[in-house]
Amino acid sequence: MSMVYDEYGRPFIILKEQQAKNRVKGLEAQKSNILAAKSVSSVLRTSLGPKGMDKMLVDPDGDVTITNDGATILERMEVQHQVAKLLVELSQSQDNEIGDGTTGVVVLAGALLAQAEKLLDRGIHPVRVAEGYEAACKVALDTLGKIGDTVEFTKDNTEPLVTTAETTLNSKIINVNRRKMAEIAVNAVLSVADLDRKDVNFDMIKMEGKPGGRLEDTELVQGIVLDKEMSHPQMSKTIKDVKCALLTCPFEPPKPKTKHKLDITSKEAYDKLYEHEQAYFTKMIQQVKDSGANLVICQWGFDDEANHLLLQNKLPAIRWVGGVELELIAIATGARIIPRFSELSADKLGSCGQVREIAFGTTKEKMVVIEDCKNSSAVTCVVRGGNKMIVDEAKRSLHDAMCVVRNLVKDNRVVYGGGSAEIACSMAVSKHADSVMGTDQYAIRAFADALDDIPLALAENCGLSPIEELANVKSKQLAENNPFLGVDCNQSGTNNMKEQGVFETLIGKQQQLLLATQVVKMVLKIDDVISMGQYQ
Amino acid sequence: MGRPGIILLREGTDTSQGKPQLISNINACQAVAEAVKTTLGPRGMDKLVFDGRKVTISNDGATIMALLEIAHPAAKTLVDISMSQDAEVGDGTTSVVLLASEMLKQVKEFVEAGVHPQVLIRYMRQSAKLAVETVKKLAVPFEGEKGREMLLKCAGTALNSKLIASHQDLFAPMVVEAVSGLKSDLSDLNLIAVKKVPGGEVRSSFLVKGVAFKKTFSYAGHEQMTKKFIKPKILLLNVELELKSEKENAEVRITDPDQYQSIVDAEWSVIYEKLDKCVDSGANIVLSKLPIGDLATQYFADKGLFCAGRVDVGDMVRVGKATGAVIQTSTNGIAPEVIGNCGMFEEKRIGDERFNLFTECPSVETATIVLRGGSEQFIEESHRSMHDAIMVVKRSLKSQAIVAGGGAVEMEVAKVLREESLKIEGKGQLVMQSFARALEIVPRQLADNAGYDATDVLNALRKKHFHEQDGKWFGVDIKEGGICDTYEAGVWEPSINKINSLAAAGEAACVILSIDETVRNPKSEQPGAQPQAQQGRQGGGGMSGMMGNAMDIANNGARRGKLGHGVNYMKGRGGG
Repeated sequence: MSMVYDEYGRPFIILKEQQAKNRVKGLEAQKSNILAAKSVSSVLRTSLGPKGMDKMLVDPDGDVTITNDGATILERMEVQHQVAKLLVELSQSQDNEIGDGTTGVVVLAGALLAQAEKLLDRGIHPVRVAEGYEAACKVALDTLGKIGDTVEFTKDNTEPLVTTAETTLNSKIINVNRRKMAEIAVNAVLSVADLDRKDVNFDMIKMEGKPGGRLEDTELVQGIVLDKEMSHPQMSKTIKDVKCALLTCPFEPPKPKTKHKLDITSKEAYDKLYEHEQAYFTKMIQQVKDSGANLVICQWGFDDEANHLLLQNKLPAIRWVGGVELELIAIATGARIIPRFSELSADKLGSCGQVREIAFGTTKEKMVVIEDCKNSSAVTCVVRGGNKMIVDEAKRSLHDAMCVVRNLVKDNRVVYGGGSAEIACSMAVSKHADSVMGTDQYAIRAFADALDDIPLALAENCGLSPIEELANVKSKQLAENNPFLGVDCNQSGTNNMKEQGVFETLIGKQQQLLLATQVVKMVLKIDDVISMGQYQ
Repeated sequence: MGRPGIILLREGTDTSQGKPQLISNINACQAVAEAVKTTLGPRGMDKLVFDGRKVTISNDGATIMALLEIAHPAAKTLVDISMSQDAEVGDGTTSVVLLASEMLKQVKEFVEAGVHPQVLIRYMRQSAKLAVETVKKLAVPFEGEKGREMLLKCAGTALNSKLIASHQDLFAPMVVEAVSGLKSDLSDLNLIAVKKVPGGEVRSSFLVKGVAFKKTFSYAGHEQMTKKFIKPKILLLNVELELKSEKENAEVRITDPDQYQSIVDAEWSVIYEKLDKCVDSGANIVLSKLPIGDLATQYFADKGLFCAGRVDVGDMVRVGKATGAVIQTSTNGIAPEVIGNCGMFEEKRIGDERFNLFTECPSVETATIVLRGGSEQFIEESHRSMHDAIMVVKRSLKSQAIVAGGGAVEMEVAKVLREESLKIEGKGQLVMQSFARALEIVPRQLADNAGYDATDVLNALRKKHFHEQDGKWFGVDIKEGGICDTYEAGVWEPSINKINSLAAAGEAACVILSIDETVRNPKSEQPGAQPQAQQGRQGGGGMSGMMGNAMDIANNGARRGKLGHGVNYMKGRGGG
């Protein structure tokens, strides 16, 4: 900020470190903010849709991520600019709430801001623009509600869910196997879903990834997969009719928490101590045996001595199982977590049909699978793939697909994809614009234009001629009065998205519009930027 | 020749005095007001302030003033009045700064012309007093029947200029509901909690009549607990329920290995005794300010209880207020009367977070507002706006009188002052008139910010107020341009807001006018004396996340497992 001089020509300091502070005001501030936001959205623009491209991101440690998930890209980009950060948060909040459409929401916000810039150039007050957008957003939401369809599904008929999940997976790297992946996602969600309460607890779905094998080897395990192995290589690898004891105490003599010291003064005392220790071990094993357990899962480790004794007593054991996993196992097998050996009893054991240790390929990596649980609500997806990047991306994609299925379980209304919903909204909004008096009309129309940007980007990414395609679809929608027509990204010969089976959830779409409008309003309302140091 | 100079002050000390100093101070104040004036009113804009570490986007005068880090001694007075307005009324923090600086601007010419500042001060005081009296006279007391409606309108007006203005219909009733739930103690701000959950859409914000707080850090076993109770009994503790050494620095010496087991058993029995007492008290829900360990979690889960450890103090107090429970510092002798109860307890998922909700409480002494929004900045600003609205509603409940906003009341006061000034002989007449003109800054700025021709609007307003009997509530029409009856339009503000801002602005102006010399210690003037600012800049935005409280990171940070949201997160301790 420059110096201020009084009438007598003397400079005076008003703010702390005045020279170091930067200030951008008025239209200039809005323009610079819009530019920043636009450049973020232009990064994501090419990732939109089934033919969208992936981004490769290398973090400071040299780890590579390849993805086309909007939220992940923005998160890893480490955006510095303050307004651009708003867009990053925007996509993350779409991710947290809906889990899908994280790219679309940013592209839309970018388009809205680009349109707003033109209006600002014409001298329209930024707050008026924002208010116009809000009004237009309302119209668009109503339209979405009108063109929305409901999908009926039951536990037996999951076809509509699978189709929707497929739409989500379309744009991902794993789209070769989308049918299988979609089925995995649907089955996973449905096994933990509470259809009456319309609630899905994602904590019950675990995802494990192992590089190696093929994507096709990805499977859903009705039970829990632990990235662990039996504590001793000679223990039996498969156990049937398992009774397992879940322990949160280590397999060693108990230690008091208070600071203690054991003074050994004589050899006799030492021998006695040794005997005691031995007695502890045998007693512990005996207690486990007595309770009837044939598998021990322990949160902590146990030393070689205990391990040996367990092997001798034909008690397979798994050690170092994390708290969360232990909890999941407890829920799945109906077990109670046991804090000390003296509390072991038969009724606290969990039961399940089978526990087996599986090895992968030629590598030494092993996993323990706990299957056929009494309470089978916990499931695990084991994702396989050619390399770590594919596995990670597959995990993210599956997660997206599961989110979509969850949203459908919560609210079974859908709209059709391929930009059809946006085009329908855009037409409704621009029709509404004509009936509005005053400057708001311009803002509302700009909103309609911004909505067109999504099908444009879709067509562009598919290598179609965007403007021609959009014009065609629009005129067709109008002529046939059919809001299901969209951009035919897969070249399947029909524009009717309903026939193509391209579904998106209604709440996801609504959320996109609402969030984008909200953030755009926030950006537009800033007319003054005061910052320490450089603000680009 | 010449006398040796007398060195009175330390070398380098800057002194300036007399008229130039006064003018310089006035200029500084104007420069400050310049920074915030565009935030006034419904069409006001926001400021983005980046202090090297974190970003704030705000429209709230007091927040911006605080973030500007004003160093000029006289201009700091303006920051102070903005803060005091915030503390006292909660709203109108921008207009008070604007008024004070405008008053100074109007009397600047008198200072330049050589009028003694004390004369100015005397008549400024008189004018301010008169202005306050006029507002008091103008204020419309609201009747009991229409009370709620009035509160709604006041809350709406306070929210008008904020980012969430278009959701007034949602937030204004929410605020009114929350505040009117408080029965006794209106001044305690902590009784209305505002919880922020990023993500989701602003309209999914909601009010909990009772207490809601985020799921605390939990240990394995938490998922096995009962998550919903109808008419539960609640026990509040300030006790650590964990297996640990009872006394710090205590040491046990054992000579005989036989005694070993007894020590171990003793420790276990201590914790089990505590747990048993909690269960025996009949409570269904156990909350503790201190950690509740994995052993206790599993024990309670086994007995069908719900527990949460490391609950925030404020939340504990609110639960206490709502349910009638009393926080216990020991598990011994829990009397039935210290156990609270409520109609319903539930653990509920809100966005990506899980919340513990206590509702249908016997004495609704507290409320929680859960705010949602697209980004952190958005929620932060919503929070500030809600704070303003809550304060305004509280104030209007107390003062029970309102005036019309949109610059109407300022215009009317200006008119009264002008009339009154003609009765004064001498310089005072001019001073009072300039005071009146200073008041017009509010409507002028409102019109300016909205992009209307301020001069036209102001002239129309003056005409209305001077010539028409029923013109007293005419103010700027932000929606359509021009002027309108803002009382009819429902732009209402509590009269105490205006009274406070007039008085504070007048006071501040007088204080600044009375300064004729500044003596500045040389050190305080060095620019860039704060080395930390340098570091802050280099740290950039990426570091901001590191500054959080360690527990928050444990709660939030660790939850973000590598698999994506909600699929996996670390919890509890142990291997893996």
